[in-house]
Amino acid sequence: MAQGIPQPIGAPAGERRASGDLGNRVLRLASRNARLIAPLTTLIALFVFFSLVTDVFLSTRNFQNIVSQIGPVAVAACGITFVLLCAEIDLSIASVATFTGVLSAYIFGNSWEMFGITLNLGVWGVLVAAIVAAGIGLLNGFFVAYVGIPSFMMTLAMLTIAAGMAEYVTKGRILPAASVPGELQDLASAGNRFLGIPYIGIVALAVLIVSDVVLSYTKFGRYVYMTGGNREAAEMSGVNTRRVVMLSLMVAGFTAGLAGMLFTGRLHNANPAGGTELLIQTIAAVVLGGTSLFGGEGGIKNTFIGLLIFGILSNGLNLIEGLSIHFKDALEGIILVGALLLNVLALRLERVQTRAD
Amino acid sequence: MDEPIVLVGRTTPNPGPQTPDPGAAEPLLTLTGVSKRFGGALALDDVGFDLLPGEIHGLIGENGAGKSTLMKILSGVHSPDEGEIALRGETVRFGSPAEAKARGIGMIYQELSVMPTLTVAENVYLGRQPTNRAGLVDWKRMRQRSAAALRELGITIDVTERLGKLSLGQQQLVEIGRVVFSGADVIVLDEPTSALSGPEAERLFAVIRGLRARGKSLIFISHFLEDVLAVADRVTVLKNARHVATMPSQGVTKHRLIELMIGRDATSLAEASEGGTTLPPPVNSAPVLELTGLSLTGQFADVGLTVRAGEIVGVFGFLGAGMTEVARTLFGCLRPLTGTMRLNGRVIRPASPMAATRLGIAYLTENRRATLFPRHEVYKNITLAHLNRLVGPVFRHPSEIAVAGSLVNRTGVRPANPTMRAGHLSGGNQQKVVLAKWLTRQPKLLILNEPTRGMDVGAKREVLDLIKELRAEGVAILLLSTEPETVIAESDRILVMSKGRITKEFANERVSKDQLMEFA
Ligand SMILES: Nc1ncnc2c1ncn2[C@@H]1O[C@H](COP(=O)(O)OP(=O)(O)O)[C@@H](O)[C@H]1O
Ligand SMILES: [Mg+2]
Repeated sequence: MAQGIPQPIGAPAGERRASGDLGNRVLRLASRNARLIAPLTTLIALFVFFSLVTDVFLSTRNFQNIVSQIGPVAVAACGITFVLLCAEIDLSIASVATFTGVLSAYIFGNSWEMFGITLNLGVWGVLVAAIVAAGIGLLNGFFVAYVGIPSFMMTLAMLTIAAGMAEYVTKGRILPAASVPGELQDLASAGNRFLGIPYIGIVALAVLIVSDVVLSYTKFGRYVYMTGGNREAAEMSGVNTRRVVMLSLMVAGFTAGLAGMLFTGRLHNANPAGGTELLIQTIAAVVLGGTSLFGGEGGIKNTFIGLLIFGILSNGLNLIEGLSIHFKDALEGIILVGALLLNVLALRLERVQTRAD
Repeated sequence: MDEPIVLVGRTTPNPGPQTPDPGAAEPLLTLTGVSKRFGGALALDDVGFDLLPGEIHGLIGENGAGKSTLMKILSGVHSPDEGEIALRGETVRFGSPAEAKARGIGMIYQELSVMPTLTVAENVYLGRQPTNRAGLVDWKRMRQRSAAALRELGITIDVTERLGKLSLGQQQLVEIGRVVFSGADVIVLDEPTSALSGPEAERLFAVIRGLRARGKSLIFISHFLEDVLAVADRVTVLKNARHVATMPSQGVTKHRLIELMIGRDATSLAEASEGGTTLPPPVNSAPVLELTGLSLTGQFADVGLTVRAGEIVGVFGFLGAGMTEVARTLFGCLRPLTGTMRLNGRVIRPASPMAATRLGIAYLTENRRATLFPRHEVYKNITLAHLNRLVGPVFRHPSEIAVAGSLVNRTGVRPANPTMRAGHLSGGNQQKVVLAKWLTRQPKLLILNEPTRGMDVGAKREVLDLIKELRAEGVAILLLSTEPETVIAESDRILVMSKGRITKEFANERVSKDQLMEFA
């Protein structure tokens, strides 16, 4: 991060001009991209650190491990990126993920009598579950954007509702592997690879790429950034900011649902009480990547780096011998604090730069 | 000058204005030879001012004359570069607002400093909640005492109500209550009436007179000269950082005050007539915007106006005259209660800025913060309003940057770099960016609210030239400003708004600054 810190301005002109110009330009480039450079540096540092400290870290096998571990988190992180860019929050993603995973298994394992026909959706239940997840997100979005409930409160309430529904659907039981669609299990298991990359990594990458295209190259994406950058200004520029916020929360619900189903696939069962750590992991990854908690800045590229940081960290900590597994949990929280710190610092850096210009 | 006016010369050191009635009591407060410089500009130049016990002293002057600066010096916000303050004959120096407050000087700014989420009682007691023996806040005492304190001032408000729920006028009364309750003997009201409706202003005056009757001294700053004449015992006029006159308000006319504010000496006269202009004969093009009987309770009433294609209609009024509210109504932020709005002959009722934007209405707000994205690139700022028209569902940045680049050139943004962050530009250039935003698609109606306020001369000229260019292209332009010079210099027709109503229309005739102020 050190390279982003601007030096005191007002160096005397003249003999120092030439070198100062170049220095200034580098400085400016660095601080303009502070949001990408800081996390990138962190990533490289961690990579080098774990490579040196452990012998297992630097191996194909371990990287495949990392990828399949962060796959579901990566999918959910895409939606959270939309929401944070809008300067909102979604606390419900973990329980929406759990509910969706459970629901897909429930639909898979049951059939219904309807108009005299036996309906067995089978693996297509996954589609229904995904639509339900998007619907939950849409509901969040509607209440936040059009009714005016702060997203913090609304999604907190939805956290409870979705968790309750997951319990209700399963009557509190863990649905066994037999009721999890085999396709999901195949997709999510670390052993299934294409060109050495676990399927789940490819799925995550696809979701990341689609999200990046939407955020960087569509009008909707631009509206997301501008709404988060200055809500009032966006509105006064003719942007339908309410719709933007609503749809962003819908995206978050949808990706949370996908993540939840990938989880059931990876664990080979659907546990209504599982998956609670997804929320903190996702937000940690996104914020570690440098996306602003205050909206408008960052993006999927940041999230991608954040995911790698997060994945390497939790994987690397496991590899260090003698580190208690319980301490690891606390460490995850500490890392999040570090990420928040980074976030605030980056913001301050930009302010300094803005004043210097 | 045969009126009882004390003119202070430029060369003589200022001993402070003499009291017109020598028999009156010793001044409670005297400011002598006060000067204050901000950077290169003199905000106050050897100004004297005094305040008698139990007096309401009006303080007037054009925007930027130095009124607020003088009051900020009095209340310890700024320290004077030169000059001194004497309170009850004793020289004082206030290092901070808290010190001034402790000596009984209470300020009420236009932007209220009360807390909207707290109750009235809590606001009255702000920062000094009474506690009971257990050290907890004594709510009951707080309610009773604050209600009693307000009642004494003739203010009847439910003290358990949250302040944010009250009208602006009531909030202002609570603020006065708080200041009085905190023990202030000198109460400064900086433009308190600009945002108040008629009855609310009346109530405020009653409270102010009540305070005078209880021996408090008040300084009352307002653009509404009738209000000043109605409520003040004496009036002091500032002009261009200097003290011009102090006089009893008895028998003084509004016209006379305007003369003093603008000036009638040789140079000022030349300036004033230079500032005046002869409006051109009205154009006969098709009306683009027609408002009839537009009203919104508490904001504006019975507003009717027409703007034709290729015409600039200027509206002059002071802060709180309702111009911004009319603009916001046109732009879909507010819903009118009655009346009709027509655009190119068709009745419109824009329900949101988005709807208004689609209709071809562009609105440059008075507050740049509300329209700029400082941390985003200039080109993203510019293309936002009409992104639909510029790009397909998936777009390419180079073509977008090219569109923004041509508008950057047209509006003269410097540096002419569309990929720079907008927050890195100077204020004037930021304003150009905000204007450029509305030119990616030619608007039918362009509403400009204070388009050049706070800009340097060069940037101002460029923006005004661009506006004239748009007029030549047939855009209907509604120009709202609290600066009479801007309205006079740029308009084809001029309307004056005051307290929510259009009070005068000037067309095809000679018009000058004092005439505008006469009707505002
Ligand atoms: N904090 C400040 N920094 C720089 N200039 C200031 C500041 N406050 C006021 N000024 C300048 O001083 C002059 C007087 O301003 P002000 O006292 O606010 O005028 P008034 O209240 O009469 O409209 C103006 O030209 C204004 O731009
Ligand atoms: Mg002022």
